[in-house]
Amino acid sequence: MCAAIYSEKVMEHFRNPKNMGEIKDADGVGTVGNPVCVLPETNIVGNPNLTSISSFNIGDKVLSHDSKFHEITRRFRRNYSGNIIMIKNRLGRTFLTPDHLVYGFKLPEDYAYYYTRNKKKLSNQLSWWHAEHFEKRDIITYPIPMDIKDIEYLKIDILKSDHDFRSKKIPLKIKVDKNFMCFSGYFLSEGNTRIQKSKTYTTLTFNIKEDEYIQDCLNLIKKVFGLDAKVERRGKRKTVYIQIYNTHVTRFLRELFGSNVEEKRIPDFMMLLPLEKQAELIRGLWYGDGYIDIEKPRASYSTISKQLANQIKILLLRQGIIPSIYEEKPRSINHVNHRKAYRIYVLGKPSLKKLGSILNVKFKLKKKTISNTWIDNGLLFTPITKVEKIEYNGPVYNLEVESTHSYTTESLILHNCGDMMTIYIKVKDNRIADIKFKTFGCAAAIATSSMITELAKGKTIEEAEKITRDDVANELDGLPPIKMHCSNLAADALKEAIKDYRNRKKSSE
Amino acid sequence: MKRIYLDHAATTPVDKEVIEAMLPYFSEYYGNASSLHSFGKEAYEALEKSREQVARILNAENKEILFTSGGTESDNLALKGVAYKNRDKINTKGPHIITSSIEHPAVLETCKNLEKEGFKIKYLSVNKYGVVDLDELLESITKDTFLISIMFANNEIGTIQPIEEIGKIARENDIIFHTDAIQAIGKIPIDVKKLNIDMLSISSHKIYGPKGVGALFIRKNLNIKPIVNGGGHERGLRSGTENIPGIVGLGKACELSMERLDRDTRYIMGLRDKLIKGVLENIEESYLNGHPKDRLVNNAHFRFTAIEGESLLISLDEKGIAASTGSACSSKKLQPSHVLLAIGLTPVDAHGSLRLTLGRGNNKEEIDYVLQVLPEVVTKLREISPLWKRS
Repeated sequence: MCAAIYSEKVMEHFRNPKNMGEIKDADGVGTVGNPVCVLPETNIVGNPNLTSISSFNIGDKVLSHDSKFHEITRRFRRNYSGNIIMIKNRLGRTFLTPDHLVYGFKLPEDYAYYYTRNKKKLSNQLSWWHAEHFEKRDIITYPIPMDIKDIEYLKIDILKSDHDFRSKKIPLKIKVDKNFMCFSGYFLSEGNTRIQKSKTYTTLTFNIKEDEYIQDCLNLIKKVFGLDAKVERRGKRKTVYIQIYNTHVTRFLRELFGSNVEEKRIPDFMMLLPLEKQAELIRGLWYGDGYIDIEKPRASYSTISKQLANQIKILLLRQGIIPSIYEEKPRSINHVNHRKAYRIYVLGKPSLKKLGSILNVKFKLKKKTISNTWIDNGLLFTPITKVEKIEYNGPVYNLEVESTHSYTTESLILHNCGDMMTIYIKVKDNRIADIKFKTFGCAAAIATSSMITELAKGKTIEEAEKITRDDVANELDGLPPIKMHCSNLAADALKEAIKDYRNRKKSSE
Repeated sequence: MKRIYLDHAATTPVDKEVIEAMLPYFSEYYGNASSLHSFGKEAYEALEKSREQVARILNAENKEILFTSGGTESDNLALKGVAYKNRDKINTKGPHIITSSIEHPAVLETCKNLEKEGFKIKYLSVNKYGVVDLDELLESITKDTFLISIMFANNEIGTIQPIEEIGKIARENDIIFHTDAIQAIGKIPIDVKKLNIDMLSISSHKIYGPKGVGALFIRKNLNIKPIVNGGGHERGLRSGTENIPGIVGLGKACELSMERLDRDTRYIMGLRDKLIKGVLENIEESYLNGHPKDRLVNNAHFRFTAIEGESLLISLDEKGIAASTGSACSSKKLQPSHVLLAIGLTPVDAHGSLRLTLGRGNNKEEIDYVLQVLPEVVTKLREISPLWKRS
């Protein structure tokens, strides 16, 4: 496409853009870009927690496609109305606008998985694709953070409370060894803390048949804290309670792992420990609450904490074990209400073999299995299991991430914004006193930005708001048809800036 | 205003000697080469002379050269001609044709059409320099594979493929090997015998010849089906009265290219290296796309952070410099270049790409001018860009 396609007016504004730049103390700022964004409740992998995109701030770190964490440099929010694509894989679901770029590749139509096929060849096809181009079966990737930072001791800096006369003294420094990690796993699965004035204690709940694990857990408590826990058997409920009557330990555990079941999480430092220590954590977790079926063969783990499910996913991936995560809807079984839960499955020969060696379990594995999921160079490659289109009307978000330009949801890797336009306005007596722009894009995008600043300057907010895309195009003596949609965003950017101005005004009143 | 043409990969000016050679064939020797009279004989002789000139640049035999309307037709004829000859293989597992993901659309789109007709095509991936993976090629070959089509050198990033090795692999596996040499011809010495090439496409207007004419080399004893039927011209493989002035132009252009190959290569490479060095040294966050060494002598392909190629192109045009870009904004489909995506660039990176391709006519002063103008233009566009780092 050459300069000849543009009117002389467009070229004038492109050659000498009017009002180019920023206004540092602007009253309103509006940014539009390629409509590539995700829904506000989309969970993003931060360092190291999974939280909704709307709660991230500039400077926070997010996981990128290089499996490392990078800083957010900008954050965008805008209103969107139209199609949203839902992409589902074994790790979860992500809703995104059709133009959003996802890290993966189209699986060739005739491709068949074989027992021995080298998947590395497929990994080479990795690229950024628009969400709307993906279909069921195509491969998308997930980064596995592999950084390691070992810690030897953990200090307990919780003071003994005044009215606690009974608690035995415990060491003020706890060794972060395999015993402690395994106990942590048991506690995350089965533990409960209760803090009341007269009663502060920790309970771990086991099934009456789990003798082996009960003994293991008691031994660990002795080794880690030097304490003898009390065992309470309740035959009627088929339950065994291990009680630690110690304020110090209870407060320590609550601080470390979260207070209630729904908010339980693995402390940040544990996510970076060496793989041998993390293996012990997995063992404790699984002995506590995991499910093992040697015959089938398969293993699973269920939790109502979304955070914990995501963390276990990362722990397993670091070990080279590939999990699948299913959301279980709230339901009622035998008059017992079960809350929404996340079930993590481990299937397939290589993964079960690795998990088996951590859990000291020998799964009855088939000789040969075909796998459509693999790990290569710090990335998990896994097929899309479902793609759906839904109608959406509401706010959407996007992030700009330094150097890598990508971030990770619970199930896939996204590329951040592409071309875009920012408009700054300064308002005086309800009139646009000053207006400036910055634009990344073609000559038409730059010319339309320049033109709208000319059109809006001096107008009242209400008048400026009425400027349409067509007005801008007409003032420029027309735009090539192909440019009418992609490059004519200036009117939208101005509307965003006015909206931002009104919001700021409202919140200051 | 001074104008500088740096888009020789798109097309070249016709050489004066070529024009002189062509001129008599418009109104003096205007016969139809199929006619039996003397007018026809003059045209026929010109046609056969051109055939010899084209054959010589490839170290081929005269009868192995077939004239077409240009590179696109040559590619179409090569791929469809072989595929239709092997139509009985359509129900086998395949792949039937192995090509690369960075071919020119003349090959890629033809392959996609053949796929619709039932043929199975394997598109080889490339590394970050745009070089195909020979191991992947070897792994992809099955007993059903009858054609490998890999371009000699890429039209966008200029990367030269390991053609000798591919030719060897094809020969050992008894597979027909076609190469699109439209960008390579006249810039790299080509010996179809030594390289085990069975079919090769060339175009006239990339080597200082006229537009609308090209040729396809088809190794003797290799049978293909025609895609244009009619009066049986060109051994029945490409019917239609021969474009004699054009063909004479192509022949002359080949002859000149061969004569000037060494001199042109030295001269253009000198200018090109000066350009690359100057750009990378003087513009921050500028990168060279394609292979650092194994690239066409006249190709310089850059990318600049935080600016968009179409606005860069138009800004340069305003300063009299003609260039090209792989940015989505400059394509009809608003899609970034498939070549840049295949070498692993993101669409945003592809946005900031700029291709400068040099020719015989360029000189040192022009390169100096580009090296003066380009940093200014990049700086100006970065000032407008919200993606460029804040001061």
